[in-house]
Amino acid sequence: MGLSSFSSVVLALAALQGPGTRLTYRIRVIEPDAGAQHVLASGAVSGPIDSDMRLTLRTDTAEVEALFQVTPVGDTVSLGGEFFTRRRVGSSRRGLPIWEEDSYRRLIQVTWTDTARIYPFGSRSKAGALWVELVLEREFAGGEARPAESFDLADSTLDFRLEAVVRPRRARVILNLVRGADVSAPRPLDLVPEESPRVVQLVLNGRPTTLVVSLTRPDPALSSRDRALALDADVVCLRVARRDSPEPLGKICGRLNNIARQLPLPTGDTLSATFAWPGPR
Amino acid sequence: MADTHEQWLAQIDAELDGELPLAERAALAKHLATCSHCAGARASHLEVRVALARSAGNPHAFVVPRPSIRAGTLALWVAAALASGVIGGWFASQRWGGPGGGSALEETRGTIVVQ
Repeated sequence: MGLSSFSSVVLALAALQGPGTRLTYRIRVIEPDAGAQHVLASGAVSGPIDSDMRLTLRTDTAEVEALFQVTPVGDTVSLGGEFFTRRRVGSSRRGLPIWEEDSYRRLIQVTWTDTARIYPFGSRSKAGALWVELVLEREFAGGEARPAESFDLADSTLDFRLEAVVRPRRARVILNLVRGADVSAPRPLDLVPEESPRVVQLVLNGRPTTLVVSLTRPDPALSSRDRALALDADVVCLRVARRDSPEPLGKICGRLNNIARQLPLPTGDTLSATFAWPGPR
Repeated sequence: MADTHEQWLAQIDAELDGELPLAERAALAKHLATCSHCAGARASHLEVRVALARSAGNPHAFVVPRPSIRAGTLALWVAAALASGVIGGWFASQRWGGPGGGSALEETRGTIVVQ
């Protein structure tokens, strides 16, 4: 790649990843019905330009989970899909179902006006009559970049799900010190993963405790399915250390779901951390 | 009553000579039913005696031949059984297949195409 084309790609990426660009995955699940097309479900997932979409489709004999990611390259976009599939292949001698698992990746180059057709069960399989239409859209939406999902299921027998997968750029962390029935005043922090540590002082019963906290991404998931489907995308970890010692006191990991997680401290207090998505800016 | 193998062989010789009393013949018969070694030895003794009698000019000396399976026949049957098992297994695999059989893997995988 020449220098000029490389710089144009970088400029295009930079322009697309600006704070006002919003990406939408528009989805329709279609089944051909006597020459006509029967829409079983439709929906849309939108968010910042680095948003991914997780699609789940289940039948009696197959389960398809896929994580779709887009990488804008100039006027085109590279659409990648990490598939994790389970297919029922029979029954054991004790009558229990036997499933085979398969994971693979698909990559295709499309333009913004193209419609991609996804055959989740393969185009030649018996269930291949069903397909998913995917249209990618980008729009400039001011500073609003929170993920959103909309979903309409026309056929209730279909087990189909769409999820936005967004890795948090910031996280709101609320810290408390707890000892017995006493709780310190909540200390909210707006932390950015992998940024330099922050010093926090919490006061419980008039006794101050100074801690150094930093936000990190979790270690890669051990399971290949969890890694492929980015099931830990919204998990962050809070590293806690003393101010005067580089040795960490511990690490608290959790999803941004407003659930408090606790870390016992050597002082006898318990640090409670609640992770949540930050408010809109 | 004989206790050792040599004693039982002596009993067998006496029995074939017609010199063994009835009670000891009964004990020998009971022992031969459980001791294949002694039963084989008795059959060998009998064959030797018949052969000697025939060589001595007694045309009526006769012994029923012991059943035997020749090694070649046995090997042939084993080979035939193995071959039929392999052919049957191959046929069943082709006909019904194992779990996951059927269409090619790539045909069952999801695909993305541009319309």
